[in-house]
Amino acid sequence: MAHILLVDDDQDIIEMNRTALSQRGHRITAAFSAAEAKQAVAADAPELAVLDVMMEDKTIGFELARELHALYPAMKLVMLTGISKEMDLRFSFGPDETWLPVSKFLEKPVNPRILADEVDGLLKETA
Amino acid sequence: MDLLNILIVDDEFGMRRGAERALRDMHLHLHDINGDVRFSIRTAADGKELEEKMNEGPTDILVLDYKLPDTTGLDILDRLMKQPLDLLVIMITAYASLDTAVTATRRGAYDFLAKPFTPEELRGAVRKAARHLILQRQARRLAEEKRQVRFQFVSVLAHEMKSPISAIEGYLQMMRERAVGDRLADYDHIVDRCLVRIEGMRKLISDLLDMTSIESGQRQRVIATVELGDLARQAVENVRGEAARRGIAIELDVPEGARMEADRAEIEMIFNNLVSNAVKYNRDGGRVGLRLRDSDGEVRIAVEDTGIGMTPEECQRLFSDFSRIKNDRTRHILGSGLGLSTLKKIVTLYDGDISVKSQPDAGSTFSVVLRRDVASASR
Repeated sequence: MAHILLVDDDQDIIEMNRTALSQRGHRITAAFSAAEAKQAVAADAPELAVLDVMMEDKTIGFELARELHALYPAMKLVMLTGISKEMDLRFSFGPDETWLPVSKFLEKPVNPRILADEVDGLLKETA
Repeated sequence: MDLLNILIVDDEFGMRRGAERALRDMHLHLHDINGDVRFSIRTAADGKELEEKMNEGPTDILVLDYKLPDTTGLDILDRLMKQPLDLLVIMITAYASLDTAVTATRRGAYDFLAKPFTPEELRGAVRKAARHLILQRQARRLAEEKRQVRFQFVSVLAHEMKSPISAIEGYLQMMRERAVGDRLADYDHIVDRCLVRIEGMRKLISDLLDMTSIESGQRQRVIATVELGDLARQAVENVRGEAARRGIAIELDVPEGARMEADRAEIEMIFNNLVSNAVKYNRDGGRVGLRLRDSDGEVRIAVEDTGIGMTPEECQRLFSDFSRIKNDRTRHILGSGLGLSTLKKIVTLYDGDISVKSQPDAGSTFSVVLRRDVASASR
């Protein structure tokens, strides 16, 4: 049983993932933007965060992942994408940031049950 | 200010010096794009030096002698035209050799000058080529910008259309896997959410069609006398149900007999959008006021609400495509983000204006001004 942060600007995605993850006994905090996510983490840091890439800004999820990792290196991060196709974006970074501190990428749309399986798998690795 | 690089290629020293002198201090003003052009001049004596000079830096206009010691102007022209170079060639031909001039132009030279020519003739030819080159480049730039804007628009549109599909797909998977048990009633909320997302998608599609039909100018406008009071009352009627359910009072203040020459569908869109926004973004138990003022020159519409309001930064973004203000208070409200940007496009057809004054948590007032004479003049 873990504390999980869900970050997505789509309330339905949050809702279905909340349902699937709380059924596995996890405690869920929801945030609808990167700004809200940072506030939530400051108040009560989760063990794992599920991040959407495209929210207020096209790639803000990537920035959020780096910021969260810098503050909480032990926090597992799962990233939901769908963005590379839409924006013709390649995963390209500056010379000093050739990686993203993300444990798992899942291509949208993600079946909430499969997300819950992935989350449980990652939590088991740490346990 | 544009700078064009001219390269003069001629084996006669006197010719090179004369041409350089004629062009050195030349300056060109292009009225149609309100731009100034200056020139930098280099020279070459033969084909070999031409190649060296071209490798040194960019060349925009090549003034090329037909007869060179080591090659001919036509051979150079043939080689140049095989490469994707963005330059124009003015061929200098011998006296009265019209054949060469015709051949050169056929093979890609932009213009030709027959020897002997005066400095003014040379300047004239260079001016003509410079003008052509600058306008051609600008047209290419604009076309490229247009492609970019279109790509951005389609990208955002794709995202907006995929979001509801992802949501519905996720919910359907939950239903198929009986994610919340076997009681059908436990799925009511999921079904309701799917229906809301489908309605949102339909709204996006219809707003998109409205917007493109206005924007393309393809739509057949029918300019006729429009009874403004009727359309305002109809817009209020359309939201009567939701307003009643949420205890929102709507007040109409439209002078008797207010009318204008306009396209009925466009004016309908203005009233419908503003009134439905004023209800959607209102608080329960709030108020909406629609006021119309009618003078000789213009019609002014103001729609006021007591809703959630916006910050000055939010107001600024409001009239662009897909600019929905996303926050806690708007998350549950259905909108395509295209309504107000479409209204902005409509009001420009009436040489008018749309603006907003707003205060967070107090409400917003949207004001539209339409000029009367514009639509009837275009009839």
